Amino acid sequence: MPELLRPEDRLGLLAFLKDRFGMAPSSFEAYHIYAFKRQAFLFRRQPGKIDFPKSSFVRCGLPFMRLVAGYLKPTTVFLQRFGHLAWKNILHLDKAQIGRLCLEGEIDLGLESIDAQEIETPGYIIIKTGEYILGAGLILDNSRILCRFPKAMRQALVHINDL
Amino acid sequence: MDKFSLFLADYKGLIPDFNGYLQGLKRPLPLYYRINTLKIGTEEAKSLLRSEGIWFEETCFEELVLVKNHDPPPSPVLSYHLGYIYPQALSSCLPVKALDPKPHERLLDLCAAPGGKATHLAQTMKDMGLIVANDRKLGRITALMANIKRMGITNTVVTQARGEHFTWGHKFDKVIVDAPCSGIGRYRMDETGHIRHMKPGKTDLPAIQKGLITKGFDLLRSGGIMVYSTCTLNVEENEEVVHYLLQKRRAKLTPWDPPVPWSPGITRFKEKEYDKGVGLARRFYPHKIHSVGFFLARVVKA
Repeated sequence: MPELLRPEDRLGLLAFLKDRFGMAPSSFEAYHIYAFKRQAFLFRRQPGKIDFPKSSFVRCGLPFMRLVAGYLKPTTVFLQRFGHLAWKNILHLDKAQIGRLCLEGEIDLGLESIDAQEIETPGYIIIKTGEYILGAGLILDNSRILCRFPKAMRQALVHINDL
Repeated sequence: MDKFSLFLADYKGLIPDFNGYLQGLKRPLPLYYRINTLKIGTEEAKSLLRSEGIWFEETCFEELVLVKNHDPPPSPVLSYHLGYIYPQALSSCLPVKALDPKPHERLLDLCAAPGGKATHLAQTMKDMGLIVANDRKLGRITALMANIKRMGITNTVVTQARGEHFTWGHKFDKVIVDAPCSGIGRYRMDETGHIRHMKPGKTDLPAIQKGLITKGFDLLRSGGIMVYSTCTLNVEENEEVVHYLLQKRRAKLTPWDPPVPWSPGITRFKEKEYDKGVGLARRFYPHKIHSVGFFLARVVKA
């Protein structure tokens, strides 16, 4: 069953978002954060207590973050919805680069390009094309970008440049 | 005689412009996209759709567009994967419009998968309040969860239970029972005259539907509103089910003026006569609304 995150753990997650992406913790005051199956979920705060039914409960809220190899990883679906609150570590790619990233799983943009966009490396990033937030990526070794989009989305965006 | 021929024989005198209905069966089901206003403004979404090669026309609902491209339309990959659109028939928007959910209300969608109505409820409620989206089958629950995620919704709890046995610790302000049905409203005819979208099986659907409508009603708070809907035109799955509820519970139908052409619920069919209140239900014929045929009853708990 989902468990409401302890206040110190909640603060930890929100501090990460502030530190990494510049998202203000106050933006999430209207939400509970639940832990369930090694993942954190953002769930709209309710006026009363909710007793989730044990026998039928499947999930609540939006998958928010999880811990992957020591890193906190924000989910693509969370970033698509709340990424507009971020102001740093946002990587802009053109459609051809997105297509290549989705096809090959990773691309190396070179240090110059990463520095120009003021990306802090290593760590998770928000990937944008034009005005649209696509989702999560991971930057390693200063300039390697790894795709962290859901599989179906990644497959669909391989040909984004032809659309 | 197959099932559909029997249906046609029974309904010839009941469906308005019956020839128009038969002609309509030969046209493919139109494609609509609902814009997810939780993530994007309608004008911005329409602009993106245009840039993805989608031609569309406006509908009576601001958030819904009718795709006009010829078969097959291009795939709006970006709009879809960023959760900006949900392919959804115009008819399927009607239960949410009839329910008119408000932010901060507590809602139950008893047969929620794959999530068209639940996600539409969420955007109408501005992702506030509570939605419990329930369904019976695990495979369908997977699709439901994927759509809730894709649309970026935070106010929904997903549960898996048989609707008739569903329990929750409190009553709901509003309930949707979009019951499993024979799907006659979706029927279309191919070039050979063969009916497409026909569901096989001999399940006793009215028995299931009666169980669901009763449970949905019992989960309503006093004064709460329930919408019962199906995508069939079959009286036994519609008016007869609503009549059953009116006999068993202190339920009352309330009128609703839909923004699309409709016909009143049928109160007399073959040898049977139903509660007069059933006439306040709404029937939507596919050739009249250019979408899936639909039935809807808006019920209030006294």
